[in-house]
Amino acid sequence: MAAQPKTIWDRLEDIPREILYGLLLITIILPMIYPIGFPVPISAEVQRWYNTIDALPAGSVVMIDFGYSGGGEPELAPMAVAVYHHLFKKGDIKVVTMSTSIEGPLLWEKAMLELNPAQYGKQYGVDYIHIGYIANVEAAMAAVGKSISATTTTDYKGTPLSQYSIMEGVDNAADFALLICYTTGGDQSEGWVRQWYTTYQTPYLSCVLAMMVPTMLPYQKAGQIVSVTSGAQAGQMELLVEVPGRGIKSADVITMTHLLCIAFVVVGNIAYFGKKFSGGKK
Amino acid sequence: MSIVMKKNVPILIVALTALLFLLEFFVFPELKDVITMLQNWGIILTAFTLGFGAVNMFMYHGKQVSRRTKNQWPFSLWLLIVLVIFTVTGVFMGATSTQYSWLYNSSYFALSATVYSSLGFYMTSGIYRALRAKNAESALLLVVGIIVLARNAPALAASMPILIQLDSWLSAVPTTSAQRGIMIGAALGALALGIKTMIGKETGFLGRLTEGEKGGS
Amino acid sequence: MELASIIQIWLAALFTIWIYTIAFRDDAFFKFAEHTFVGAAAGHSIVYGVDNIIRYGWAPMTAGNMMYAVVFILGILLYTRFHQTYFWVSRVPLSVVVGIGIGLSMRTTVTSEFIAQIISTAQMKVLGLDAWTGFSNLLFIIIVLATVYFFIFTFPKAHGGSLGIISKVARYGMMAAFGYSFANTVLSRFNMIFGRIDYVMNTWLVLPYAMLALPVILLLAIYAMIPAERRPWPKKS
Repeated sequence: MAAQPKTIWDRLEDIPREILYGLLLITIILPMIYPIGFPVPISAEVQRWYNTIDALPAGSVVMIDFGYSGGGEPELAPMAVAVYHHLFKKGDIKVVTMSTSIEGPLLWEKAMLELNPAQYGKQYGVDYIHIGYIANVEAAMAAVGKSISATTTTDYKGTPLSQYSIMEGVDNAADFALLICYTTGGDQSEGWVRQWYTTYQTPYLSCVLAMMVPTMLPYQKAGQIVSVTSGAQAGQMELLVEVPGRGIKSADVITMTHLLCIAFVVVGNIAYFGKKFSGGKK
Repeated sequence: MSIVMKKNVPILIVALTALLFLLEFFVFPELKDVITMLQNWGIILTAFTLGFGAVNMFMYHGKQVSRRTKNQWPFSLWLLIVLVIFTVTGVFMGATSTQYSWLYNSSYFALSATVYSSLGFYMTSGIYRALRAKNAESALLLVVGIIVLARNAPALAASMPILIQLDSWLSAVPTTSAQRGIMIGAALGALALGIKTMIGKETGFLGRLTEGEKGGS
Repeated sequence: MELASIIQIWLAALFTIWIYTIAFRDDAFFKFAEHTFVGAAAGHSIVYGVDNIIRYGWAPMTAGNMMYAVVFILGILLYTRFHQTYFWVSRVPLSVVVGIGIGLSMRTTVTSEFIAQIISTAQMKVLGLDAWTGFSNLLFIIIVLATVYFFIFTFPKAHGGSLGIISKVARYGMMAAFGYSFANTVLSRFNMIFGRIDYVMNTWLVLPYAMLALPVILLLAIYAMIPAERRPWPKKS
C-alpha cells in the first residue's frame, strides 16, 4: 500500500527538533547582542522580601543557607548577590552563612567575588562569615539551630570560629533575627520550615528555583515563610536594591523566549486541531 | 549470623534513635546533649556516605577499562582520572584551596550548570509536541500554563497588568490549595512510613534481603 | 588576565558547548564532557566528605571526645555494603542515619505540614467578605478537601458514582497547579540556559582568538555528530 502523502498539518506537527532548538537559540542570542531593555514589574513577593530586610533593626544577625548546586547557580546567584547588596547597604547587619549543599562554599566564594563586600567596608569575620558545608541536610539545620559551637568549631577554611568577632554572642537559632535560604533542593527549603520556623519561629525568607515555588506556596500561605521568591525574580530585587546585575540582564531574553514558547503552543495546537478536523486524527 | 542480628537489631536501632528524638522534643528536653551528639553523628555518617558514589564508579568503570569495552573504555578511564585528580587536589591541597577552586570552576561547575540547563531544550520540544488541549483537564493545564508563561515574560506583564492579577489569583487559589492538599497527603504518608519503618513493617532501608530475612525474624 | 584564569574560561566554555551538542545528536565530545562531569561529581563528593569527617569528627575526637571514635567505626562499617557476605553489617550504621532522619522529620512534620496547614485552611473566611474573595476562599477550601480526599481514599469505589465529582474537582485543581508549575519550570530552565550562553558570549568570546576558535569548535562538533560510516573523511578501506 502506498504511503499517504504528508498533509500540511502533518508537516506542521512534525517540525524537526533541530529547527525548534535553532529558533530557541536565536531567540536567546539576539536580545543579548541587541539588548531591548524591556521593563520589569516588581512582584508583591519580591517587595515583601525587600521590606522584611529593610525592617531589620540595627545589630541584627542573619543566617543564610547557600544551599544551591552549580546547576542552579545561573538562576539563584543573581538573587543571592542582590540580597547581600541590600544587607550590606543597610549598615549594621551581621551575616552568618552556612551551606547544606556540597557545592555551597565554592559557590559562595564566587558570589563574594561578584559582590565585593569591601566596597561597603565589610570585613570577613567581623561583618560576615561562612561556617562551611555541613552534611545531612535536616540534621545540620537542627544541630546549628541548637548550637553552632557544639556542631562546628571552625569556619569553611578551617580557622577557629573563636578568632572571629562576628561569632561573639551568636550560637543558636534564637540569636538570629532572620533566616534566608537559597536552594535547588526541596529538602532544604522545606527542612528550614521544619527545623527552624516550627521549632524556633525564626522569620524565614525562601528563594528557590522557579519550578519549586508552587510546592512552597502552602507554607507561605500558612505564615511559615514570610516570602517565597524564585531566583528568576532577581532582576526585580536588583531594581529595588539599585544594583543592576545578571538578573536584570536576563529580562529581554526571558521575554523573548517566553513569547516563542507561547507561539509554539499556539502553532502546535493549530496543527493538532487542523489534523483532527481534516480527518487525520481520531 | 542470626536474622535477629542482621535484620531486627537495625530495626531496633532505628526505632530507638527516632524515639529519642521525639522524646527530647516533646517530653524530656534534658536529653538535649544526647540529641546534639546524635545529630553530629548523623552529620559525620552522612559525610562517610559521600564516598559511595566514587566506590561504585571505580567498580563499574574499572571493569569497563579492564575489559577494554568497545567505544567506552577510554571514557571510563578518563572518568577515573578526573575522579582521582579531584580527590587528590581537594583532599591534599584543601577543599577551598585556589587549585581546587580553579579545578571546580573550570570543569564541574560549568558542566553542572550546563547539564541542568540543557533540559530547557527538551522542554521546548515538549511544549511544541505535547501541550495539547485534548480534553478538559489538559485544556486547563494549557490555559493556566499560557497565562503564567505570559506573566513570567517581564515585558508582557508590564504592558498587561491583568496578567499579574490573573497570575496572582492562580498562584494564591488553585495552585496553593492543590499543593496544600498534596502536602497534607504526603505528610500523612511520611508519618505512616516513619511509623512502619520504626516497627519493622517497612524494610527498604535495609537494602537487599536474603530469603531467610524476607520471612521475618 | 592571568593564564590560569584564561585556561579556566576556555575549559568552561568548551564544556558548555560540548554538553549542548547532545540536544542535536550524541557525539564523542558530549561523551567526554559527560564523563568528566560524573568523575568530577564523585571526586567532589569525596573531597567534601573528607572535609566534613575531619572538621566535625576527627577534630573533636583528637580534642579528647572519645564518643566520636564510635562514629568513626560506624562510618567505616558503612562500606561493608560493597562486600558480598558482610553487606548486612552496613545496616547498623545506616539504621542510625535512618533513625535520625525519621526522628527529626516526624517531630516537626505533624506541626508544619499537617496541623499548620489545616489551621490555615480552617481560618479562611467565606462570609462577610466581598463576593470575589469569598468565592476564592470557598474554592480554596473545596480544592484542599478534594485533593486530600483524592490521595487518602484510593480505593476505586471512592472515585466512582456520585463521589466521582470530588475526584474531578481534585483533578481540575491539580491540573491548574501543574500548569502553573510547568510554566515556572520553563522559566527556570531558560534562566539557566541564559546563564550559560551569557558566560560563553560575554566571558569567553571576548578573549583573544575565541571568536576564531568558535567556528572550528562548532564544525568539529557537527562532524562528530555524523555516524562514523557516513563521514566523508577518513574513508573506511
